[in-house]
Amino acid sequence: MKPTLETYLSEHAEQRPDCLAVVCGGESLTYAQLYHRVRSRARQLHEDGLREGQIFPFRTSQSIDFLLTYFAVHLLGAAAAPLECGLSDERFAAVSSWLKGCPVASDTADVLYTTGTTGDAKGVMISHRAIVADGENLIASQGFCPDVAFVIAGPLNHIGSLSKIFPVVMTGSTLIILQGMKNLDDFFAAFQLPFSRFATFLVPANLRILLQFAADRLQALADRLDFIETGAAPMAEADMRALCDLLPHTRLYNTYASTETGIIATHCYSHDGCVAGCLGRSMPHSRLFITPEGTIACQGDTLMSGYVDNPVRTSEVLRDGTLYTSDVGRIDSEGRLHLQGRDDDVINVGGFKVSPVEVEDAALSHPMVHDCICTAVPHPVTGQALRLLVVLSEGHELRKRDLARHLLSRLEPYKVPQLYEPVAQVERTFNGKLNRKHYKS
Amino acid sequence: MREQIKQLLEEALPLVDVESEFLYSELDSLGVTNILMTLSEEYGIELDSRDATPKNLRNLDNIVRMVEQKLAARP
Repeated sequence: MKPTLETYLSEHAEQRPDCLAVVCGGESLTYAQLYHRVRSRARQLHEDGLREGQIFPFRTSQSIDFLLTYFAVHLLGAAAAPLECGLSDERFAAVSSWLKGCPVASDTADVLYTTGTTGDAKGVMISHRAIVADGENLIASQGFCPDVAFVIAGPLNHIGSLSKIFPVVMTGSTLIILQGMKNLDDFFAAFQLPFSRFATFLVPANLRILLQFAADRLQALADRLDFIETGAAPMAEADMRALCDLLPHTRLYNTYASTETGIIATHCYSHDGCVAGCLGRSMPHSRLFITPEGTIACQGDTLMSGYVDNPVRTSEVLRDGTLYTSDVGRIDSEGRLHLQGRDDDVINVGGFKVSPVEVEDAALSHPMVHDCICTAVPHPVTGQALRLLVVLSEGHELRKRDLARHLLSRLEPYKVPQLYEPVAQVERTFNGKLNRKHYKS
Repeated sequence: MREQIKQLLEEALPLVDVESEFLYSELDSLGVTNILMTLSEEYGIELDSRDATPKNLRNLDNIVRMVEQKLAARP
């Protein structure tokens, strides 16, 4: 039987029971304690009716409790579906109900709920095999090891942060879970915990925040930070150089990954050069190539198994063991991947990918909105921010907050635009479709 | 100044009730960053992560007080 994440957890609980597995807030658990509580949670979930092959949706929290549920669901042979913590109760109930009624592929460990380019929700099935392959990719390429405690500040339902649990558990090191990056005093306090070395994953927007508002405090960690991984969004070359200057002994990685592909390639820019868009070579379990259309295609054990209950959408991107992405890229003479943009309308807001169609559909359900288009505008921290251009219904005026709250009741918080502008009309193509290119220039 | 800061923050943070007594609890990391950026640009003051405390950002009055103190300390 092939090992799963829980196989490693069980082995550590037996072989190194007193090693610290997780720290969160004032609470911490050793591997023995963690495994004991995971088994207890699994019994409870079983009593509540959860069975092998089912999907278990639950609200994500940055907590030890999240880990207990996540591992317990796996132990029962069910699939964990961690949903956005900011989802409204109504949306959470609707998504949960849909997921619970869906069949999943065998060996499915996780179902990650994402939004596609056309605005329709999708559940990405990730197998136990993919999880272990992701973990082995990261261990081999970035040097996760038992002596380095890993700080997770990002949301645990996103692949960027969730995937860091894998190598930490597989190597038997310690996970430090934070409640995001809102309180930077808490963030820096985590690096004062009694561990000799630390590593962390931060999206470029978070690195930008640190560089702009806490550069001196980051520099003070220079001797403790073993490595920092970033990914999920483009990172400015100037920020790479600034980090290299502040942290001369820290390995700094930029990684190519997505929910559908898993963890594919990584570039150590502190060692191999600060080049914007460079994502390095493929990792041991992964292969990648550029299609004749110029988009990136991936192969290997880390790929998703498909979209839940959606064979048509699955076959559009996953065929014969190859995952065809919408990312445009090239491979240089040294075999390094360079990302050059996207071949679709998805807007990347600080590492969160947003379909403008989904935002527009939600906005159009408000009576004040006659027509609208969601566009991207440059943002100094997140790279891009969402702007909604609104053609108002007759007799209505633009009430920004009302519209924002309406959107929040239907969408995840990161999909709610920051900027709203009334316009006389939105540009359309000759056949009546929204002319997105007009707003990209 | 209070009214001006209120308008600035309402523009920058459409989902947040700027007059809330628990303003900080309504913010996420980007909201905190937007406040620091908006105020430092508008008033030419230097704000860093040490200023973004739950106390300073607890409500609009505390934010106004923080800006006033920064302006007073400006050389």
